[in-house]
Amino acid sequence: METAFNIKEGQRIEGTSFSPTRETIWEFCEASLDYNPLHWDDEYMKSDFGKTNFGGIIMHGMSNFSLITKMMTDWALPQQGTHRRLETRWKSPVKPGDTITPSGIVKKVKVTEKANWVVVSVEVKNQEDKLVAEGEAMVEFPL
Amino acid sequence: MDYKYDTDFWAGNAARKIWDDIVPGEPRKTIPYTLTKEAIYKLCKATGDMNPLYVDEDYAKTTKWGGIIAPPSIHVLLMFSCTPNDDWMRSPGTINASQSWSYNIPARPGDVITLQARALDKFIKGDRLFAIHDNVFFNQDNEVICSGRGWTIRSM
Repeated sequence: METAFNIKEGQRIEGTSFSPTRETIWEFCEASLDYNPLHWDDEYMKSDFGKTNFGGIIMHGMSNFSLITKMMTDWALPQQGTHRRLETRWKSPVKPGDTITPSGIVKKVKVTEKANWVVVSVEVKNQEDKLVAEGEAMVEFPL
Repeated sequence: MDYKYDTDFWAGNAARKIWDDIVPGEPRKTIPYTLTKEAIYKLCKATGDMNPLYVDEDYAKTTKWGGIIAPPSIHVLLMFSCTPNDDWMRSPGTINASQSWSYNIPARPGDVITLQARALDKFIKGDRLFAIHDNVFFNQDNEVICSGRGWTIRSM
């Protein structure tokens, strides 16, 4: 489907990769004020979380969320679009040394009475092509 | 921030509600927070999003926003800056399973931001205890900045 604002269903969106380290994760602790020991305490992370053992510290899920947000705003802002919504589900933990890359695909273009809406299916994969996050974004464009 | 922010999430953990104590629908205590350019810069740097709209006043003045705005994901910081040390979001071991956020207007430096927040629901899935938090951030003019909820797995 082609629209006046030239965004088509099936269009791909590529984000920038991010390679977290212990230092970047700590920097995120300080910037977000989220000092949960999941993200910095090696001793604590030796313990089990129910049936799960992460085997070391993990990156904040919201760091992942911010990376997807960057992809969406980098894409939308130059086209006069406004990032309106992001929903994410975390599928696998991200650890220092990983490299994660977000991407998106336009699933739906919907014209309402006041705007053009674009629904984007988003995902983040690590260096092994394993899915670490998935979700959906919504961007509003003027008519 | 108008209170001493405790970066040790273990301190005061005994005062936090555990899953059993969380009452869906019950408001959480919140604290107004004045957003600064420095806080925005720090978050942008930590997330690798140095869009000049968020960090360069001269550039931002040339845009339709007329000045620096915060990135939409600023709620990542606001969630902690607008809640007290005994808020159950800080319980060590709280695992983020999912979040969904809607954005209305951008937050700006100088905004005095308030939060209305509650537990929306709690449930058991498999062996895991879940609680859903529900949040709306407002600026000093009582305009909604963003609203969202998160599905968290509670530590046991």
